[in-house]
Amino acid sequence: MRRARPLLGTLVDIEASGKYAAVAIEAAFGLIAEVHRLMSFHEFDSDVSRINRAVAGVPVSISQRTHEVLQFAQRLSVLSAGRFDVSIGREMVSAGLLPVPADAREPAEDVSFQDLALLPNAQILLKKQLWIDLGGIAKGYAVDCAIQLLREHQVDSALVNAGGDLRLFGPARPVHVRNPSLPGALISLGMLDNCAVASSSGMYSTSHSDALVDKKNRACVRWNQSISVIAPDCMSADALTKIVRLCPDQAQDILEQYRAEAVFIPHTPTAKNRQVHQ
Amino acid sequence: MIALSTLAVSSQAFAVQYMTAEEAQHAMFAEATAFKDVSVHLNAEQMNEVQKLAGVAARSVGWHVLAAYKGDVLLGYMVQDEVIGKYELISYAVGLNPDASVRQVEILNYRESHGSEIKNAAWRKQFVNKTAQTGLRPGEDIATISGATLSCTHVTDGVRRIAAIAQVVFKKGS
Repeated sequence: MRRARPLLGTLVDIEASGKYAAVAIEAAFGLIAEVHRLMSFHEFDSDVSRINRAVAGVPVSISQRTHEVLQFAQRLSVLSAGRFDVSIGREMVSAGLLPVPADAREPAEDVSFQDLALLPNAQILLKKQLWIDLGGIAKGYAVDCAIQLLREHQVDSALVNAGGDLRLFGPARPVHVRNPSLPGALISLGMLDNCAVASSSGMYSTSHSDALVDKKNRACVRWNQSISVIAPDCMSADALTKIVRLCPDQAQDILEQYRAEAVFIPHTPTAKNRQVHQ
Repeated sequence: MIALSTLAVSSQAFAVQYMTAEEAQHAMFAEATAFKDVSVHLNAEQMNEVQKLAGVAARSVGWHVLAAYKGDVLLGYMVQDEVIGKYELISYAVGLNPDASVRQVEILNYRESHGSEIKNAAWRKQFVNKTAQTGLRPGEDIATISGATLSCTHVTDGVRRIAAIAQVVFKKGS
């Protein structure tokens, strides 16, 4: 059984097989919608919006789920020496990639992930005014939540694809990525099972690059090749596509820590110069 | 660095059928005992109201609407629509409660083409009457199944438009 709904700013496609597939898919969409409500930059009552409206120095209670995603992000920020950073809301808004959050105070100029403290009991505290955006990882996290729920419903196999960030289990199947030079054509990544794939590409960017801010240079990154990361889970795969783009020199070590691999597809008419990292 | 050897280029166009309109109506209103065709024709005033409420043009005069009933009790409505992007055609259904709030959205089918097919006038012509009067918005809504992100702007705009139509036509009439 295969279903699709508009969620997370894209079309989310869920396929599952087995006796309880229909119930499991319905529950999985429900959970993805919940993650969307918690982590959307646009929704006024999301955890992200509540953090962005928070006053520095005052603890804010958030959901366990958002806390978990922030923990993951903080670890990756440390590993990447701050190149990956969720406190890039200000830059995203300046670039016109996100709207100014409603009722939020102006963020301080020089902020980083270190100005967001994670406290016990699913609380956070801003040390300086800042705006976060979880756009780089929340989609992958939502896919992981859906996959876990589908497993709990004991479906035989499943595939969740949120606009190119996907995770699957069950029999191995061919997974493809787009050829950046020829968007209609697909390039096979081979037969994959029990893993996640996320892709990041500037191939469709016209007026602006896709949404990636280089924290070090405080600018949006331009990109003309496609990068896919294969990892055990989708949040890692999603986030690591950004790591590979932002800090190629450290990427190999970080990929190894997450048991992930990166595949590059350069933007060439023939797309023959593909290489695998790690 | 190692070269990737398992490479293959496949189709230029692909399509996914998720569910039929009939499956969607039963999925949205499992308890329904009857469905009635209550398709609407918007007048000029209603089209203006829809545009004001939704922030997008009402686009079409005629809309295919089913009302779901359990006995005599109205459970809600299902409206079917299609949106076309630069590379994709998405057919979807919106389930609404009697108060015009959105109950469920299901993608019925999805079709994408990057090849010569989409440039072919005859192929495009079949979707002409489905296209927003404002025309296509190139570069804004590129589809992908595995790769870059597919924007669902057209679908979300469409859902908002349909919710506004229900508000104008059904809520006020009740």
